[in-house]
Amino acid sequence: MLLLDIRNLTIELRSGGNSIKAVERVNLSIKEGEVHGLVGESGSGKSLIAKAIVGVLNQRWKVTADRMHWRGQDLFRLSRKKRRQILSNEIAMIYQEPSRCLDPTSTILEQLLESIPSDQLDGNLWDRKKQRQARAVALLHKVGIKDHDQCLQSYPHQLSEGYCQKIMIAMAVAKKPDLLIADEPTTALESTTRAQILRVLKGLNQLKNTSILLISHDLETLSDWTHTVSVLYCGQMVESGSTEQIFNRPHHPYTQALINSVPDFHMELAHKSRLFALEGSIPTLQHLPIGCRLGPRCPYAQRECVKTPTAHKDHNHSYSCHYPIDYSQEQR
Amino acid sequence: MIHYVLRRLFLLLFVLFSLSVLTFSLSFLFPGDPLNNLSGYQEITVNQLAILERKYKIESDYFTQYIAFLRRVFSGDLGISFNSQAPVFEQVNRIFPATVELAVYSLLVSIIIGIPLGIISAYYHRRLPDTVILTTTLVGYSLPVFWWALLIIFTFSLHFGWFPSSGRIGLVYEVPHISGFILVDILRSDIIYKYEALKNALMHMALPTLVLTTYPTTVLIRYTRGSMLNVLETNYIKTARAKGLSPFQVLLHHGLRNALLPVIRLIGLQFSSLITLAMITEVIFSWPGVGRWLIESIYQRDYPAIQGGLLAIATFVIIVTITSDILYKWFNPVSRTQVDGKF
Repeated sequence: MLLLDIRNLTIELRSGGNSIKAVERVNLSIKEGEVHGLVGESGSGKSLIAKAIVGVLNQRWKVTADRMHWRGQDLFRLSRKKRRQILSNEIAMIYQEPSRCLDPTSTILEQLLESIPSDQLDGNLWDRKKQRQARAVALLHKVGIKDHDQCLQSYPHQLSEGYCQKIMIAMAVAKKPDLLIADEPTTALESTTRAQILRVLKGLNQLKNTSILLISHDLETLSDWTHTVSVLYCGQMVESGSTEQIFNRPHHPYTQALINSVPDFHMELAHKSRLFALEGSIPTLQHLPIGCRLGPRCPYAQRECVKTPTAHKDHNHSYSCHYPIDYSQEQR
Repeated sequence: MIHYVLRRLFLLLFVLFSLSVLTFSLSFLFPGDPLNNLSGYQEITVNQLAILERKYKIESDYFTQYIAFLRRVFSGDLGISFNSQAPVFEQVNRIFPATVELAVYSLLVSIIIGIPLGIISAYYHRRLPDTVILTTTLVGYSLPVFWWALLIIFTFSLHFGWFPSSGRIGLVYEVPHISGFILVDILRSDIIYKYEALKNALMHMALPTLVLTTYPTTVLIRYTRGSMLNVLETNYIKTARAKGLSPFQVLLHHGLRNALLPVIRLIGLQFSSLITLAMITEVIFSWPGVGRWLIESIYQRDYPAIQGGLLAIATFVIIVTITSDILYKWFNPVSRTQVDGKF
């Protein structure tokens, strides 16, 4: 069953008289227990999509979608209150800069206690307080923090980024969410902590069957353990499919370029030759090209690319390109 | 924290030291004979001259004179006033509470009104309540205090006759002078007409407080609004919202504490301009405070009185500023544990 099903999500930035479509007609669906990767360069709208799902974008942004179903319920048709209830109970999100997502003036304990829902506790008022404390400690253990006493009494600025990120995860899993949205959870961290965080997330997925929407710009972290991957470019979904399909047989030139640009020790590069990269750079929001937004940079672009391509679907693999890379001749 | 408090206290000592040097040097910088300016005796007879010269060590070097000056300040001797020939220290002591009372009540009113309005304004950002509050504060912010005071007197005192326009309390009431704070004095005294006196004192207090509170309130509203808006934009507020807390809980647990921290600091900084405004207000409402007394002394070139008033007001403002600094540090965990040298 589909957990989250989004069709034609458009996010517009209203500035002055005109509006800019920062995210244009994006489809996204996540199954239960699935790890879905969302890749794209910075500025491609990955975080916007995540924030639009959780509903924390501010009023400058206008979010529209043909449908945004959560377990078959259309989130846009629910009342604000009901929507918030569903979102806070069943979807949790961890953000990019963990230390800035924790309130600097209250201790970790207070913030952790706050995120433990009271319906998980039983007994009278006195017991509850103890239970909450015990839950908080258990949550910290779950994310791999051993010296819980010291950590609980600390303020966020006294802890490292890695600790803060672990605490964010602890707070996110306190509600036992069905979907965890991780917005570049490892960007600010060094590699050992990164491995730890990813291990925690992986454990959550395997043991609790939590679905994860993992947002990243790093292909390597995704290729290891995601089930499905979507590739974004400039707010357009260029390709999505299972991880194997995307990495082994990309149909979209952008996906191919992304994969080729990952440096590899087995690549046989001549001395002092250039690493592979697409020409040009990602356009700014004010100067988005019409049609396929990759158009000006695409090595295969032709006249038809000024029209926005529709998504082609091949089993679970979908790609929007007028001239997709064709593997049929190769096989013959 | 202790370390920080000590550092602040050291700063306090240092500022007070510079202040005392300035006050001391004023007697030499003012026109006239330093001995006259220091002692307050305008015509010194030959007999007095010897005693005064010995007391003020006028023959010795400046350093010894300064030490003698400090000794006198600590023993409560600021000379006598040129006009009334009464000791300056006692005069300041008697009327200073009236100014503090006015300033503190105005500050309290501005905090009680300003902070909630600022929060409401931020909460309804760019909607009707926000626009109304912002426009009103802009008007209040730009009103010159003397004109505003006259306007208030015209309306509420002369036209409607609801409130008295001058003084601290009606002449028929006789309140014994204990602490100098009139409300406290009335409540502590055992006069029979206690509640009538209290009512009368409050009536007298209403207009000056209203005038004096206008500026700090509007500043506080605007500042609280800005600070609150900043905090509401931060990621931790978004996280708290995503946690499923109600908007009210978010505001109470995470918004308020963070938004009010800079406000504490602002209150301390506002205090000096509040005292300045209080002086003008006192003159207009004939409020028997130190501001009015100081302005009169300035008009009459009463140098010992100017020195005394300056010393008292400046010390008070400095102490309040440093206290607010320490309070800010106390309430802010981020700066509380920060290494020394950072603020």
